[in-house]
Amino acid sequence: MKLKNLLASAAIMAVSVYATASSAADEAAAKFREDFLSGQLSWSDVEARAKTEGEVNWFHWGGSEKLNAWIERNVVPALAAKGITLKTTRIAGTRDAVDLVLADKQSGKGVGEGSVDAIWLNGDNFYTLVQQDALFGSFADKVPNAENFFFDPADPASQLNLSDFGTPTEAREMPWSGEQYTCYIDTNRLSKSEAPRDFEGLEAWVKENPGRFTYVKPPHYIGNTFVQTALYAFGGGYEPFQKSITEFTPEEFAKLVEPGFNYLRRIEPYLLGGEKAIYPQNQAANQALYNNGEVDMACEFGLYFVSNQIESGAFSETTETLAFPESGMIKNKNFLAIPSNAPNPAAAIVFANVMAEVDLQISKLKEIGYPLGVDMAKLSEDDQARAVAAAPKHHGVTDAELAALAVADTNASLVKVIETIWGDYIERKVEMPFLQIVKGAMEKAAK
Amino acid sequence: MVHHKGHGRGWGRLIGLLPAVSLLTVLFLGALGFSVAQSLGYAPQYGVMSFPTNIYYVSLFKDPGFWQSLGLTFYYAITPTLIGLMISIGLSLLLAHKFPGKGAALFIYKIPMVVPYLVGVALVLILFANGGIFARILFALDIIDRPSDFPRLLQTAEGWGIMLVYLWKQVPFMTVVLYAHLLVLSREPEESALLLGANRVQILWHVTLPRLIPAIVSSSLIVFAFNFGAFEVPYILGAGYPNTLTVEAWRLFDDPDYTNRPKAMAIVTLVSVISGLCLLVYLSLYRAYERKRGRV
Repeated sequence: MKLKNLLASAAIMAVSVYATASSAADEAAAKFREDFLSGQLSWSDVEARAKTEGEVNWFHWGGSEKLNAWIERNVVPALAAKGITLKTTRIAGTRDAVDLVLADKQSGKGVGEGSVDAIWLNGDNFYTLVQQDALFGSFADKVPNAENFFFDPADPASQLNLSDFGTPTEAREMPWSGEQYTCYIDTNRLSKSEAPRDFEGLEAWVKENPGRFTYVKPPHYIGNTFVQTALYAFGGGYEPFQKSITEFTPEEFAKLVEPGFNYLRRIEPYLLGGEKAIYPQNQAANQALYNNGEVDMACEFGLYFVSNQIESGAFSETTETLAFPESGMIKNKNFLAIPSNAPNPAAAIVFANVMAEVDLQISKLKEIGYPLGVDMAKLSEDDQARAVAAAPKHHGVTDAELAALAVADTNASLVKVIETIWGDYIERKVEMPFLQIVKGAMEKAAK
Repeated sequence: MVHHKGHGRGWGRLIGLLPAVSLLTVLFLGALGFSVAQSLGYAPQYGVMSFPTNIYYVSLFKDPGFWQSLGLTFYYAITPTLIGLMISIGLSLLLAHKFPGKGAALFIYKIPMVVPYLVGVALVLILFANGGIFARILFALDIIDRPSDFPRLLQTAEGWGIMLVYLWKQVPFMTVVLYAHLLVLSREPEESALLLGANRVQILWHVTLPRLIPAIVSSSLIVFAFNFGAFEVPYILGAGYPNTLTVEAWRLFDDPDYTNRPKAMAIVTLVSVISGLCLLVYLSLYRAYERKRGRV
């Protein structure tokens, strides 16, 4: 439970403050890091060192038995072939791994000395590691399988690899899987023809069916993404939201987001719970509302989410993905990051490279329905055909529809401001002019 | 109080207490010390090094949301304590009498005491959610159109679910304390009052309750202090916003921006200070009451 995490973090913090920060860094590992990042090592040098390190400690969300079994069946042998033992730590929340990295770092453990080699993460957790300067460095574009990705900043196709919820990745994490923000409906309760296709449609529909929709509460990333999607729809698409917050004056930013926030305020009385709208805390709570028949439509990340849920029996057979909204569905990737104090940095790099292999990526798509992390257009025609054949079937939408509506995620520096505005304007209903709220949020973010 | 003489005995006692005392010092005072230090801006692990500063406290006091949360925290703590106390007094008086099936009753009422709070939370969710068992029964009986039309009791700021769990768990606890107290009290004052012509209400009000006061004070004190600092029940069953101070502290602590953590620690420190002050006031009122009655 969360409380346990809280106590654990408190204990780690306590220890970390006591620990002397005398950094007797592992010099060989530090030299390896320097040489690798400056491009002085050949790939065989890296693999040789990885073999001597002999193991890699990967921390990943372990809540899916299917995923865990797939890792055991596929990743473990692939790494064993390279002379590396994969040690996985299955965690309930990625924050636990991030806290461990930071506690290690605080106690003066540098490269070669920590306890975490790789973490599966994205968004907030990556942002935290960037903020705390706890990443190994730009490795992802320096491994052989980097050829499966667009990394050229000049190419718009690179955006998904270079930006993680808007935080520049600078190749400090390896793209591993992709996601798209989708909404789903139960066609037993809401027919496809009546289902909203855009935000105006959603407003009309909830006014006729009050209480039959809600969205996850920001600052949870699922909730943030819904808010961002609405802001795109009323703020001229995703392009204006690619800029950093420093490029906006408060007046400009208020003008950009006010129509979207007014929309969210307008629909609030028609959400679940009515005047006192209920926003579920996370996607699990939202799914429970959906399964209980309290809402007819819900949104979260997951290109193949509906097919996976139907297959495991968690959703009714009549659930379908909705191509909502027509103004654009946010798409992004999730990644494998290597912390700055990875105990086995070479093995971690080899591990990230293995995970970006086309065969493993296709097997992940086929067996557990996790979308490709590698970029289709970078693959050979053969591989592309195999990937298409491996994809699980969609319910209610086609790949082409989903791909056509996919748009880029919001710049991370805006996300912080947007979630503060949501808190003040929608949740707390602070009695201040909108511009004043935006100014406050921007000041808070600039601190 | 009998004081034992001789150093050997005193030192022995001190050494005997050492394990418990040192554990408490490290875990409790240590954690409290770190929270206070962080709330004053000492958190180099998050890149916050502005010790000493009061900005975290000042920003809390300026935030109307803080005061709202404080009010709710008091509300969720006091209401179930008072209601639970009344139920427990009635229950313990009832149990002090002889009635058929008393043995079973004595066993059954204690069950929630050994069940964790989280199980209580799960029970409340299963029974009272808008898709829970009661909602489904009412729907099956055609009293409501669909399960989601069931009155919304959980995850709202009214806190029905939270207080229900507290009552379910704490009434047995308070009853045990009160009932045990009743057992050791002799029945003589009640009997003489009866002989002198007092009716049952007068006996309850003027004889039994005043004699129960020490047990009432100690049990309600424990329950109030727990409710004031509780986290998981309001976290799961409370509203997203507004909610108790502990949930607010968790929200700030869990924020990806770690520089918010000192503010979370400021809340946690305030929770400790405020509940400590409440206990102090409560106890001194109790002392004054006892002095008035000439028992101290």
